[in-house]
Order: sequence, then structure tokens, then C-alpha cells
Amino acid sequence: MSSVSTKELIHAYVQLPGVLRENFKELRSQAKENLDTCAFTTKKDEEWRFTDLKSITSNKFESVDTGIAQADLELDEYHLPEAMSSRLVFIDGNFSPSHSAIEGMPDGVIVGNINDFPEHEQLRSHLGTMTNYEDDVFVPLNDVNFQDGTFIFVPKETVIEQPIHILNVFTHRNNPHFVTPRVLFVGEMYSKATIIEEHIGLSDNVYLNVPVNEFRLYSGAHVHHARIQRDSKNASHISRPVAMLDAHAEYHSYTICLGSKLFRNEPRVIQNAEEVDFTVDGLVLIDGEQIADTHSIMDHRFSHGNSHQLHKVVVNDQAHSIFNGKIFVAKDAQKIDSFQENRNLLISDTGKVNTKPQLEIFADDVRCSHGATIGQLQDEEVFYLQSRGLTEQKSRELLVYAFALESVESMAVKSVEELLLKEVIAYTNRD
Amino acid sequence: MLEIRNLHAVVEGEELEILKGVNLTVNKGEIHAIMGPNGSGKSTLSKVVSGHPEYEVTEGTILFEGEDITEMDADERAHLGLFLAFQYPVEVPGITNKTLLREAYNTIARANEREELDPLEFEDYLVSKLEIIEMKDEFLNRSINTGFSGGEKKKNEIFQMAVLNPRLSFLDETDSGLDIDALKVVSDGVNKIASPENAIVMITHYQRLLNYIKPDFVHVMMNGKIVKSGDISLAEELEANGYDQMQKELA
Repeated sequence: MSSVSTKELIHAYVQLPGVLRENFKELRSQAKENLDTCAFTTKKDEEWRFTDLKSITSNKFESVDTGIAQADLELDEYHLPEAMSSRLVFIDGNFSPSHSAIEGMPDGVIVGNINDFPEHEQLRSHLGTMTNYEDDVFVPLNDVNFQDGTFIFVPKETVIEQPIHILNVFTHRNNPHFVTPRVLFVGEMYSKATIIEEHIGLSDNVYLNVPVNEFRLYSGAHVHHARIQRDSKNASHISRPVAMLDAHAEYHSYTICLGSKLFRNEPRVIQNAEEVDFTVDGLVLIDGEQIADTHSIMDHRFSHGNSHQLHKVVVNDQAHSIFNGKIFVAKDAQKIDSFQENRNLLISDTGKVNTKPQLEIFADDVRCSHGATIGQLQDEEVFYLQSRGLTEQKSRELLVYAFALESVESMAVKSVEELLLKEVIAYTNRD
Repeated sequence: MLEIRNLHAVVEGEELEILKGVNLTVNKGEIHAIMGPNGSGKSTLSKVVSGHPEYEVTEGTILFEGEDITEMDADERAHLGLFLAFQYPVEVPGITNKTLLREAYNTIARANEREELDPLEFEDYLVSKLEIIEMKDEFLNRSINTGFSGGEKKKNEIFQMAVLNPRLSFLDETDSGLDIDALKVVSDGVNKIASPENAIVMITHYQRLLNYIKPDFVHVMMNGKIVKSGDISLAEELEANGYDQMQKELA
């Protein structure tokens, strides 16, 4: 596609009233500078070559007023039974204390709104330090504009049993607007937590969702991180989740893309010391004219790292999936074991898939491999099920369901697994 | 029960005829064996009868219980009580045997206005059928044919047959690739299922299977047609003299 000029994109942002608040002043003013100078230039076109950004560039997005979130909004149906006392709710980017519930956390644990802890030492030392996306407007946009956000701190050797549910809700608003959810997670040595980050559009309105996540795992920390994207079908979602891992840390992430017109996810996991283990899995179910683009980086900077990526995609109608998975192994990072797999199932004749594994390995004693497949349902499979009495439609649904299931089964939380099964069934039943 | 009249069929979109005028009548309570050399069209016949979309009937009719099923979809034929045990059962990772069978059983029940079974009733029903193929409960929760040995796959076909209780079953090379123990289990299973109310058509290359499942009728298929029919002695003749000899005689 043709390149998107800097001005087209920037235009939408610089006119926004970027409220430079007192909190995180340094981060914000630095970001403001970047935003003013950084260019979404043609030299980066390779990174955006396949991605049609029309749904962003054809709109002018306003920022959302800060203030009180709608306290009377009915959100019970989105609650997870496992997280009834470990939930943070943000409505159009504003923290909603009345919808949130944090109780019974172990001593020293912080789970709360980032603005309530601006001077916290861990927050000050980590916020904004991991997100070095090159020539990027989206991270600075979030830096400048995030109002509320999530701060989670888990002290040394502390285990949070219940999953923490971060629920980002987008209500109906008439004008296109943008929201910049923010998460900073800091897990100290040998701590353990499960985070479920969800984005839900309650309407089908136009908005731009630009979440930035920073996960800092100290030695031996374990984190499961599920990300569920059910944005409005006319929304655009540009995600920047980063995790940085110290020795013996484990980080397992699963991203599920169901909603939004445009989804661009750029997960990065950085191996910051020896002996880490991480996964960057994904499941994408798209149809209509949805575009789902994953550009991931698994960045091995030290020796003895294991990483695994299974990215599964189902494409129906005219939808378009893009995958670019990078595995970096630095010169002295020996004994890396990294595997990447992108499996695509095309269930229409008009869907489109671009897939590009990209391995950049500078060490000589590593095992890195990748695989990408694009397939359709096999006639013989359909006939087999049909010969047992299932209709052709049902047979196809079941086969798609089976394809998607593998990803869903790795969910650490039962109700999330059930929720996703429902979504998978709903997807396969769509006309 | 089944009446095939002058059946001609081609691979969809191609000219070459694979079935060139097959006639076959199967009645309730009967067991038939169709034998023939490779490429004679016997497997194709079973696929055409069960409605494989890869084939197109160019002439002739298939009547099942008096109803013309020639143009029906495979699932509609299954609802009427037709079953095909595949020569190469398909692996379907991610869907368990139980899920498939419950969906299949209840779909067939609905189509015939019979009572569906709820999950608990169905579980009991399934377990009661396991002994037919001497398999354990965990068999139900494995993904369909995924990672199964050749013998397990064939047993699974017979298990599905037992659960769905069809009126007419085609067993396509069910004996191929089975060791003697598995062959016994599979054929015992078929014998347990066979009843005066249903019918079975075995497709096989070798006479071996017929030592375990006794057919009432044996047909020889060559070059897309049934060229000779008789009783078990026909199979013995084939075993002794081979297909070439028979071909010469017929010519």
C-alpha cells in the first residue's frame, strides 16, 4: 500500500489538548518533544508495508475529558468470577473506583490507579524505561496523554493467587476519540501474578485505543498475562506491550484479537539476564474487513533463554492478517532455544494473509526455528464429519473451533477459557 | 433396503468414468462383500453411495429404503441411516471422539424426531458401547483419530458405527493394515453390531476378513462394474486363483 505521510498521522494528534499534568512531568515533556519531532516516515514503511491505516488516517481523534467515570454503567456481565476482588475498571480511560474492587491483597502488594502513586520509587524508576519503539508516535502519544492507568507492584516472594482483571471499557461517544490505557507492572524476586487485560467496546463507535504496557520482572518472577481485545468493530487499536525479564523470570503472554477494525500489536519481550523463559502466543479471529497485524520481537540479549511463539489466525470474508515475528539473538547470547510458529486458516476465498518470520541471530550456539503455514479446511475432513450426520456448516464450524482451541486451552484462568470458547463459537457462527 | 441401478460416476469435473454401470441390491439382515483388485472402483462405490462431494453421478440412481438419495448431501444420507467406515479415517485434532459422536448422534436423532440425549445420558450410552471394540473410557476423550495407531483408527470407525447404529454400513477396507489381534477385535465388533434389522457391505481386496465376518453374498468388481456375484465360494475361488484368472475367464 502507499505510505502514510507523517503529517497525516501527526495531524490527528498534535491538535489534541495534551494536558501536561504535574504527575510524570518529565516523561510527558520528553514525550511531547518526541511527538513533535518524530516522524512516521517512509523509511519505516517496511514495518507498515502491508497495513492499511485508513481507519486511523480518515479520522480526527479528540481526547476524552478527564473526570469521573460513569458510575451508573452496568458492567456486571464483564466481571470474572475469579477476580471479584481483584479488578480495576477504566471507562474511556478514566479510572472508575466504583466499578473496581481490590481486596485482600497480600502485604505490600499494590494494585491501583497509577495516579495515586506518582512518587512510588518503583514507579518512578521504571515508568517509560522499556518502551523504546523506534520512530514511533504511539508510545509518546500515550506518554503525553494517559490520565489514569494501572500500577501493580508485587513485592519479593509474594504470590497473588487471584488473577488481576484490568478491564478497559469503551462507551458510546459521538465523536471519534482516542484513549491511552497504561499499565506498569513490577514483580520483585520470585513473585507471582496473573494479569488479564481486557479491552471491550460497548458500542460500535469509532475510537483509537493506544495501550502501552510495561512489565518489569525481577529475578525469578513469574507472570501470566492474557490480553483480550474485544474493541468496537469500528475502533482502531495500536498496542505496545513490553516485558523485560531478569534471570530465571518467566513471562507467558497470550493475546486474543476478536474486535476492532484495525489491530496492530507490537509485543516485545526482552531477555535482560541469563536463563529466562517466555511465550508470546496469539489467537486472531477476524472477518468482514478487519485487519489484524502482529509485529513481535523476542529479544534475546543474554545466554540460556527459552522462548516460544504460537500465533494462530483464522481469516474469513475480506479480512487481512499480517504477521511479522522477529527473533533477535545478540552476539554473546548462546544456548538460546527459540521457536516461532504462525498458523493461518483461511476460510473464505477473499481473505488475505501476509506472514514473515524474521530471525536475526548473531550467536553461533543457538537453536532457533520458525514455521508458517497458510491453509484451508480440507474437504476430506469436512466430508468425514458430514458423513457422521453433521451439516456441512456445522462440520466447518467444528473444524475452525478445533483449530482455535489449542490457543484457548493455554489460558490460565477457567472463566477466561470459557469466555473465549464462547467467542470462538460466536465467530464460527457468524454469517 | 439399498438398490443401486446402473450407477455411473466420475471425479467431479473430469471425464474419465470410474463407475461404469453398477447394479447392486442389499436387503435387510444381509452381509455383502465386494471384492476386487486395486482401481476396480470398489472404494469409489462406497464414497459415491455415502455422498462424497468429490464424485459426480452421471447416470443411474441410488435408492435407499425406496427413496432416491442420488443427489443428497452426505449428512442427509447419514440421517437416513447410512454409514461409511473409512479406509483412511481422518485425523481431527482438537475435537474429541465424544464431542463428535454426541453432535452426530443428536443431529441424527433430531432429523428422525427422536429424543436427544443429554450429556450424562450420552456418556452412559457411549461407555456401554466401548466393550464392542474393547476400548477404555479414555478413548472417548482423545481427539478424533489423532495420534491413533492404524488399528485404533479402524476400531474407532467400528465404535462410531456401534454408537450411531446405522441401517446400512459400508466398511471400506476395514481389514487393511490390521494385525491379527486387531482384526479379531474389529470383526467381533462388526458381528456384534450385525442384526436382522441392519445390513453391511464390506469392501475388501483380500479374503482374510471374510474368515471372520461371514458374508451372505460376494460380488466381484472389475473395471467399474460388478462382474460376478455368488456366495462365499466365490471368495475362495478368488483366493485360490487370483483376479487375473477370473478376468481371463470372464473375457
